[in-house]
Amino acid sequence: MISSDVIRGYNDTLILYMLMDGESYGYEISKKIRTLSEEKYIMKETTLYSAFTRLEKNGYIVSFYKEETFGKRRTYYRITPAGLAYYREKCEEWQVTQEVVNKFIKEL
Amino acid sequence: MDTIISYLNNMFATLPKSDQMLKLKQDLLASMEEKYYELKMDGKSENEAVGIVISEFGNIDELTSELGIMPEVEEEWSPMLADDEVEGFMAAKRKSGLWIGIGVALVLTGVALLIFITTSFEIGMLGGRFSEDAANMFGLIAMLLFIVPAIAMFIYSGMKLEKYKYLKSEFTLPYHLKAYVQQKQEAFASTYTLSLIMGVCLCVVSPAAIFVGSAFSEAAASLGVVVLLEIVAVAVFLFVYYGNIKDSFSILLQTGDYSKAKKEEDRVIGGVAAIIWPLATCIFLISGLVFQQWHINWIVFPITAILFGMFSGAYNIFKSKGRS
Repeated sequence: MISSDVIRGYNDTLILYMLMDGESYGYEISKKIRTLSEEKYIMKETTLYSAFTRLEKNGYIVSFYKEETFGKRRTYYRITPAGLAYYREKCEEWQVTQEVVNKFIKEL
Repeated sequence: MDTIISYLNNMFATLPKSDQMLKLKQDLLASMEEKYYELKMDGKSENEAVGIVISEFGNIDELTSELGIMPEVEEEWSPMLADDEVEGFMAAKRKSGLWIGIGVALVLTGVALLIFITTSFEIGMLGGRFSEDAANMFGLIAMLLFIVPAIAMFIYSGMKLEKYKYLKSEFTLPYHLKAYVQQKQEAFASTYTLSLIMGVCLCVVSPAAIFVGSAFSEAAASLGVVVLLEIVAVAVFLFVYYGNIKDSFSILLQTGDYSKAKKEEDRVIGGVAAIIWPLATCIFLISGLVFQQWHINWIVFPITAILFGMFSGAYNIFKSKGRS
């Protein structure tokens, strides 16, 4: 299990990655993150929704309602071009971060 | 599922009920609901499912800080009072009330003594061995002998309460202490009313000493003033001592004069009182000592009281109008 402190700066990246395959909604995204991380990272509900709020405020994603079966309404999210650009930026940042941190990591 | 709904309701209870908040809450609920049903389908028990959903909820502060909102109730940080603090404050307040009460009574006694000595000289009770100046001087010295310890008492009682200065600003009283103080307040109510009635009766009766005195002679009227001052001294002691005990409860419970809105008003009224009452005392002493008007000048105090009452009443009405 990864602690939420370690991964904090990359929650947005995780969510954007999930949205690159197409629009999705809260629970689906959190479930996919869980399976993709092989249960090593479970994003808390509040982390997920505060990230949605932040990403939408910055124009990286847009939200809209979609009618589900049984007349239920869900909030869906879609990534924007700005969001895609931001994602690339974060990927580059991670490359550098990884390189730097790796220099200080050794097998003991 | 009800547990999850009420958990979420609790989490949002202190947050503002804006459209954005409601939407967020609905999304969170939908998400948690789905997770819950999936866990149940996987064969988890009701308790297990609820436990997992709640443990994966996270921290509501994360959301509120992202939205830039603060919970409605905890706008300001306010310290929580402990048992010994409350107990200590009530004891200190009671003690300081005792010292201030005695102090004020001493000041009044000092003034009474001054009048008594100068009057005694005028009617020749001192046997004419002293000049008038000497008699006045003795009187003043006697008065100072009473006033100096009184001032020491005022300072001492102020220092006793210095420690509890923070109670003037915001604080929180835990529930069990609130109940305890309320109980004490109720038990004290009848004692306080009795002291108030006695004090007011003494004040009302006190001018009678002057009327009785003036029926005999001018000098007897002056001695009547001495009696009046002593009666008033007892009354003031009652007001101050019992008033302080009552205040200690009101301050802790933040009721009446010590509610949040009232604290602001009291600053202004307190400021005016700090000027007007010493001024009245000055007028009283000067008119008495310089112009020998002891038989009538006591009226300064009731007049000041009425004017001051009018002022604070008018100020409160004006203030509450401005607020509404």
